[in-house]
Amino acid sequence: MELQCQDILLDSLENGHMIVDDKFIVSFWNRWLSINTQISKEEIIGRSLEEIYPDLNYKVLGRKIKTALALGTPSFYDTNSSTKFISINRNKVTTSSLTFMQQQVTISPYIVSENKVMISIYDISELYETKLSLKKEIEKVNKLNDKLESDQEIIDKNIMMMKTSLNGVIIDVSTLFCEFFEYKKEDIIGQNASIFKSGNVAEATYKELWETIKSKKPWSGEVKNKTASGGAKWVQSRITPILDENGALFEFHAVYHDITNEKLLEELYITDSLTKLYNRAYFDKVIGSIAKHQRKADTDFVLAITDVDHFKSINDTYGHQVGDEALISVANTLKNSLRENDIIARWGGEEFVIMLKNVTLDEAKMIIEKVRKSVENSKVNNTISVTASFGLTKYNLGEDTHRTFKRVDDALYEAKKSGRNRIVVK
Amino acid sequence: MNIEFNEDQIDALKEFMNVSIGAATANLANLLGAFATMHIPRIDICDSDKLIPKVNATIDLTSMYYVTKQLFTGKFGGECMFVMSEGSAQNLGKHLYDIENCTDDDVNDAVIELTNILTSTIVSRLTQELDTGVQFFVPSSQFVDAHSIININDVTHYSKIIIISTILEFKDQQINSSIYILTKDEAIESLKMLIDKKIEEIYG
Repeated sequence: MELQCQDILLDSLENGHMIVDDKFIVSFWNRWLSINTQISKEEIIGRSLEEIYPDLNYKVLGRKIKTALALGTPSFYDTNSSTKFISINRNKVTTSSLTFMQQQVTISPYIVSENKVMISIYDISELYETKLSLKKEIEKVNKLNDKLESDQEIIDKNIMMMKTSLNGVIIDVSTLFCEFFEYKKEDIIGQNASIFKSGNVAEATYKELWETIKSKKPWSGEVKNKTASGGAKWVQSRITPILDENGALFEFHAVYHDITNEKLLEELYITDSLTKLYNRAYFDKVIGSIAKHQRKADTDFVLAITDVDHFKSINDTYGHQVGDEALISVANTLKNSLRENDIIARWGGEEFVIMLKNVTLDEAKMIIEKVRKSVENSKVNNTISVTASFGLTKYNLGEDTHRTFKRVDDALYEAKKSGRNRIVVK
Repeated sequence: MNIEFNEDQIDALKEFMNVSIGAATANLANLLGAFATMHIPRIDICDSDKLIPKVNATIDLTSMYYVTKQLFTGKFGGECMFVMSEGSAQNLGKHLYDIENCTDDDVNDAVIELTNILTSTIVSRLTQELDTGVQFFVPSSQFVDAHSIININDVTHYSKIIIISTILEFKDQQINSSIYILTKDEAIESLKMLIDKKIEEIYG
């Protein structure tokens, strides 16, 4: 079917169509343009666009018309341009981002022999508005990402962090973590977190740690970790299990805080400077706490007090330096002969106090007898023999510790009085 | 789908492209009043993931670029991509709009206009040589960093692509740019058929 009424066809289209020549004289103006521009066909046909729209860049339009005519293909205006081809008000009330219609303008060759082109205007405001709002959202996301990156950098440089897989393989560590433990990041990624074990933390602590985090609960505690150069540092650590969307364990994230200096101070505060055993203040604190809380696990212990025999005579005969060496020697013998969880402290002068945990009085007597023999067999400076007397007593549940000490003191006194280098149990 | 080109097909395509490039140069001089040189086009038939390294090899990866893309459709369809440095685009804006301080809109419009002339001429002429029709779509332009010119995830949807690339230089105006005519899978097969038909017509 051949179209007879091209004018009607172009009038029925929901886009703007005009026919102009290379002098910008308008020979067709469709209904859509009449309605949207409020300029009727009668007003514009036969006149130049320049009269109606003097602000248009006619140098550019002229070139685009020439291009379309010369190439026989359309030329285009930039669809993103904020400069409108012809300004058409936009009446959308619910959004205000576009005051004027955003247009896609195509200049197509029409009758080339008469230098006529068809300029078609398409309303792309909705699409453009979506594009603008998408751009705004992307800018927001980018800003958030920038902030996140900068926050991550702050965290990386200021917080010690380690991420591990469920079997303890290191996935990631922060820069501060690497600096603190003297490792290069690439050297520890993929290793097991156990490389930090210093050997100074009881296996029971690690067992408790794993049991806690594997039951999806966070674990906090103090651990002494090894550095790359073989040193050791104390850290307060908090290990948080990370769950996936199904609630299954996914990773472990640990945050550490350096407490090495606090630990050193604490050690100084509770340590006897000569023998490196605990001091009296610490022992008092421990036994006071046990008596106060009366926890079943803690109250099962035997108290022992030992006194180096004839210590005054060692001092008088060999001098105070040898006397000090005798005390150090006895302290080392005690440390080496007793269990890790027994508490040994210098009670004052040549006296030491021992808390033997979870033993009966008979068992304690056997242990202390071995200690006594070890002291007896040891020699200060490979020449001087030393012996010690021991008093032993069992702590009674709910008892005031003054009474326990009175009993053990009496036992020691009796050991001394009855010939020294022996054990008396009360 | 056999999308490998034999020697005769490549020779013919090169010949058609040379004619098209010649026409484009003439049109630029006629329409923009600027005398351009266009290099002999390179034709590569390669896996789609080779496109990004190929584009990256011709640009400074630390700079910003105006990238205009225009689709064309028909028996031979594809996409024309035009990559121009910021400095060249500014010079083009000054030349086309004859104003010292062009706005971003002016520069964008200038780049679009140049792309349109080149795409229309090269592709129209090529399709004319191959006796087929072509329809052009509205070009779109973006000002992006070198790494955002092509999205790798989008390109890898295709198995093979043809990259026809050339360099455009306007020595007097200090403008140069790279042009890529890209076509993929089915269009490559279609192009091969059109070339074979044309070879048959010419050489019987």
